[in-house]
Amino acid sequence: MLRFLHTSDLHLGKRFGNFPEDLRGRLREARHGVLARLAAVAREGDAGLILLAGDTFDTETPAPAILRQALAEMGHHSSLRWVLLPGNHDSLQAEQLWEAVRAAAPPNVTVITQGAPLVLGSNVILLPAPCTARRPGRDLTDWMDGAATPEGHFRLGLAHGAIQHFSEDDAASDIIAPNRAQRAGLDYLALGDWHGQVAVNERTYYSGAPEPDRFKHERPGQALLISLAAPGATPEIRGVDTAGFAWRTLTLDLLASENGAATLANGLPPPMERRQTLLRLVLRGRAGLAGRADLTNSIAHLAPEFAHLECDERDLITEGEAGDLDRIDSAGALREAANALLVESRDPARSAEERDIAAAALVRLFSYCDAVTS
Amino acid sequence: MKLTALRLHNVRRFAGRGVAIEGMGEGVNVLSAANEQGKSTAFEALHALFFQPHGSTGKAVQLLRPYSGGSPLVEADIVTAEGRFRLTKQFYGGKRARVLDLDRGRLVAQADEAEAFLAELTRGGAGGPAGLLWVRQGITGMDRRSNSEEEGERRVRETLLTSVQGEVEALTGGRRMAKILAACEAELAPLVTAGGRPKAGGFYALALDDMARLEAEETRLAADVAVLREALEKRRATRKRLAELEDPDAKAERRAATLAAEAAFEAAKRHGEALRTAQAEAELARNRHVTAAELLRVFDADLIRAGDLAHKVDAAQRRRDEAVTRRSRLMDEQDEARQAVAAAEQQEREHRALLARLDAALGARMAGEHLGRLQERLEKAEVERTALEADEASLAAIDIDPAGIRQLQELEVEILRLRVAEEARLPSLRIDYSPGGEGKVLLSGAPLPGGKDLGFAATTPLDIEGIGRLVLRIGATEPNSGALAKAEARRRALLDRLGVESLAAAQSRLALAQDKAAAVKLARQRLADLAPQGLGVLQAETARLAAAQSPALEVKGDPDAARQALLEAETLVAATRNAAREQAPLLEQAASAVVAAETELAIIGSDMAGLETRLGPPDQRLTRQAQLRAEEAQLRVTLESAEARVTSLRPLVPDLSVAKASLERISSVEVAANQQVSQLQVALADLNGHIQARADGAVEEDWGEAREALAAARARVERFKTEIAVLTRLRQELVAARSAARDLYLKPVVSELLPMLGLLFDDIDISFDEETLLPQSVRRNGQDEEVERLSGGMREQLSILTRLAFGRLLARDGRAAPVILDDALVYSDDDRIERMFDALHRQARDQQILVFSCRQRAFARLGGNVLQMVDWTPER
Repeated sequence: MLRFLHTSDLHLGKRFGNFPEDLRGRLREARHGVLARLAAVAREGDAGLILLAGDTFDTETPAPAILRQALAEMGHHSSLRWVLLPGNHDSLQAEQLWEAVRAAAPPNVTVITQGAPLVLGSNVILLPAPCTARRPGRDLTDWMDGAATPEGHFRLGLAHGAIQHFSEDDAASDIIAPNRAQRAGLDYLALGDWHGQVAVNERTYYSGAPEPDRFKHERPGQALLISLAAPGATPEIRGVDTAGFAWRTLTLDLLASENGAATLANGLPPPMERRQTLLRLVLRGRAGLAGRADLTNSIAHLAPEFAHLECDERDLITEGEAGDLDRIDSAGALREAANALLVESRDPARSAEERDIAAAALVRLFSYCDAVTS
Repeated sequence: MKLTALRLHNVRRFAGRGVAIEGMGEGVNVLSAANEQGKSTAFEALHALFFQPHGSTGKAVQLLRPYSGGSPLVEADIVTAEGRFRLTKQFYGGKRARVLDLDRGRLVAQADEAEAFLAELTRGGAGGPAGLLWVRQGITGMDRRSNSEEEGERRVRETLLTSVQGEVEALTGGRRMAKILAACEAELAPLVTAGGRPKAGGFYALALDDMARLEAEETRLAADVAVLREALEKRRATRKRLAELEDPDAKAERRAATLAAEAAFEAAKRHGEALRTAQAEAELARNRHVTAAELLRVFDADLIRAGDLAHKVDAAQRRRDEAVTRRSRLMDEQDEARQAVAAAEQQEREHRALLARLDAALGARMAGEHLGRLQERLEKAEVERTALEADEASLAAIDIDPAGIRQLQELEVEILRLRVAEEARLPSLRIDYSPGGEGKVLLSGAPLPGGKDLGFAATTPLDIEGIGRLVLRIGATEPNSGALAKAEARRRALLDRLGVESLAAAQSRLALAQDKAAAVKLARQRLADLAPQGLGVLQAETARLAAAQSPALEVKGDPDAARQALLEAETLVAATRNAAREQAPLLEQAASAVVAAETELAIIGSDMAGLETRLGPPDQRLTRQAQLRAEEAQLRVTLESAEARVTSLRPLVPDLSVAKASLERISSVEVAANQQVSQLQVALADLNGHIQARADGAVEEDWGEAREALAAARARVERFKTEIAVLTRLRQELVAARSAARDLYLKPVVSELLPMLGLLFDDIDISFDEETLLPQSVRRNGQDEEVERLSGGMREQLSILTRLAFGRLLARDGRAAPVILDDALVYSDDDRIERMFDALHRQARDQQILVFSCRQRAFARLGGNVLQMVDWTPER
């Protein structure tokens, strides 16, 4: 029985410059904290080996503090063996990085420096495919097919890169054969690069980032706990939560008649989780003036509960109904202004930008009216 | 509402008494009175009645109180749609307010209820907004007044417009609109300035700054990262190159190549040395052989020459002896010729000396004769000169200036002329003697001639015989002038200058002088003949010759014979000299021949001596020749063998330069490799330093952060831009809508006002201020003018007309209210005032107008109902 933890794309040292200063600090701290959480889940899952399938570091020259503290953390969990595979962000070309790692690495940390079989323990052979460059331009796992290993040993593959169109970078030339595990007779092929968790086939998985760093993937950050009963046996795979922060995208397809604020409230995570949640709202469909103003108000009201909340309402069309306009005023200058804005927002002779601005101005007028009236 | 009467008691100047203005009717009512009659007091009182609560002790009320104190009482009768009422208010002591229904004679309201009744009248509602229609003394209605008053009036105007046009709130959005605009402004203001530029310190400006800063940061970091990556790339290349260079196999290979090249070079060098030695030996052999061959050749030649010389020496000795003999003969002959020349020359000298002595004696005689002639001439010349000097002296004594004489002549004529003129002027006397009387009259003792005029110039006594002495006197008559005397004085002076007594004497002297001058001239000519170059030259010549005079010699002999003998001697000298000269070349030639012969003999002798030395004793010469020949032959053999050796060595020697170049190339490869290794190591160390510094600084992380932050900042700026665009658009729309609504709202009053304005002004348009609801600007002749900038007259006219327009609007609404003007037309000129009167009358068809004025004459033309103030005592 072999148990190990498969994870990748830690991107240690990522700065999150697009977030406010305080959140940046928390997100960075969470990236470092994932090491301890990985160690914890490995111990809980009775796994002594952790395979990091590339992109452990975000850049080829991470700050010394990032690197040394990460190595110290790994060294602290001395009962676990950490195997670090260079990915595209921290490829073998990053000599500076790997020299520094080798210089400071504790004994339980192994850095892969070449694509050659590596013996891990008594009956485990690891066939790693370290990224030789940021864009190697070829399938680095090719050699695994012909790599001989003693009979009765576990054959594990470890690689970083795209299988098809999964790549985080839009490179196309260096695609790993999706059936590599089968062709090379691997018990398990641990892949990295894709930040979302993907099962390519029963022996090939992308673990996804244990601590997500973007809104792109819906699944929460996890590592994979792999159990192999014997060489050749079908692996038993279990996702374990490791994320400190949840990056959630909430898409609301609204109807003009719908109470958007209520729909939103239903889709939100429980209040206790919100502090650790980065929420991206995508509003689509149609909303009446009142509904939209309500929605805007409730979003503004909700925002402080979240670590971060952003709202994309580009695809939300505001509908100005007579009833809505009546709420502004039944007649008089305000109504005239509202009418003019409504007409302009629907005037095909105007540019889309002008129409959008007129529509937004109308929504704003509506919300002002509401505020003044109440 | 209409006023019919106003009464006041104990108000201001009316302390302890009262006045009443009764009989106010429809249309225009005029109270025209001089100043200090209480018009304004009445106006103030009326104002207080309507607008001051009866319990008030405010300033307006205090002003109503007389100096002596007391309780002002004001009372007005009004007519409204509800009937006739009497309004009474008393302030201070016994303060009260009361409304009496005059028709029914009952109290309608008291105290606060009465105030409420009044408020109804003035604040619109059922009554009329009376306040609107007050125009006070000198107040044009557009000047600043207390805020509360302004606001009150504004509100009244607003109420009125609202009542005819609908709620202003409803039209313009009112407070909601204001609040919404304020909210919009409040959101916009922190972002942009009024001009639409980012507001300094605002969020938008900060976002823009942030973006700019991040752009700069990102650019800087990108450059840093590029530098880092380049350095990393360089280091990879450097390391690769180093590894290649330091590969042990490559190193050994380079070493071996160098060693092989060195060995080849050494071999080449050795071969070269051998060849050079052989070449040197061959050269030596050649030199020695050449020397031996030369020795042999010279020896052979010397031998032949020695034989030739032995023959030549005898002939040369013979030629020398012959030449010596010839030379001594020629020398003897020359001695003889020279002696002949000397004898001829001696003879010639003797003849020449004799001739010279004869010539000298002749010369001395001739010089003595010449001197005698000169001395004679000198004596004559000296005599002549003495005579000439005497003549010249006498001529100088008598010489006279002919010009002076001419002048004298002219002066004489002038004097004569003057004298005649003088005499003509003198008195004259004439006597014509009677017969027998002749000579009986004496003048100065002489008888006075008769029958002719005699002039006299001075007292002239006439002695008349037998009668007495007649004295003729001339008065003080002086001669005409001093001209005659002056002329005579000039003549005297001239005569003195000339040194003569008279003109005649002068003329005779002139003749004498001319004769003398001719004589002098003649004497000079003679002297010149005797001594043409002057007497001095003649004297010098004479003295010179006298000094040179030598004593006479006496030499015997005939000069001609002596000359002939000399000529012959000279001919002889020439002949002997030529003979001697002919001898000289021969002798010279002979001497040369001797020298040549001696020389030839000496040369031959010396050659002979040299040869003897070189050849050695004649008996050994053949042995020596054979020895030399053997040596030459032996050396030739040595040379040939040495040359053969060189020839055999030459093709075997490798090209040393090629071997050297090869060695240099191969060893340079190794050296270069070693140098490159150390250079690369240095470069690597540098790169390591640079990379370490940058990597430790985590520039890539910084860059990534900056890029993300920049994207966020850009998005933020975009959001602000959109926000600003939305707010700006909204504000623009709201302001436009409100403005349009206000125009609509003000339309009724404008349409009331314009016809009235037409009475006063041609072609005028007016716009209202949206806040105060009063005229803001007028448009005349295509130009906008702010009301505040108009003339005082026009402003007050506009103010009154505006109130009349509001009044008309009220009347049309069925709520007519009086318009009260207290000295409101103070700035208007006569023409305008007439037109204003017309406007007032036209207006008064529908409503009551009260006019208080102190301008009695001007307002007399207003017409209308003339009011009077009468004493009044309130009922108790």
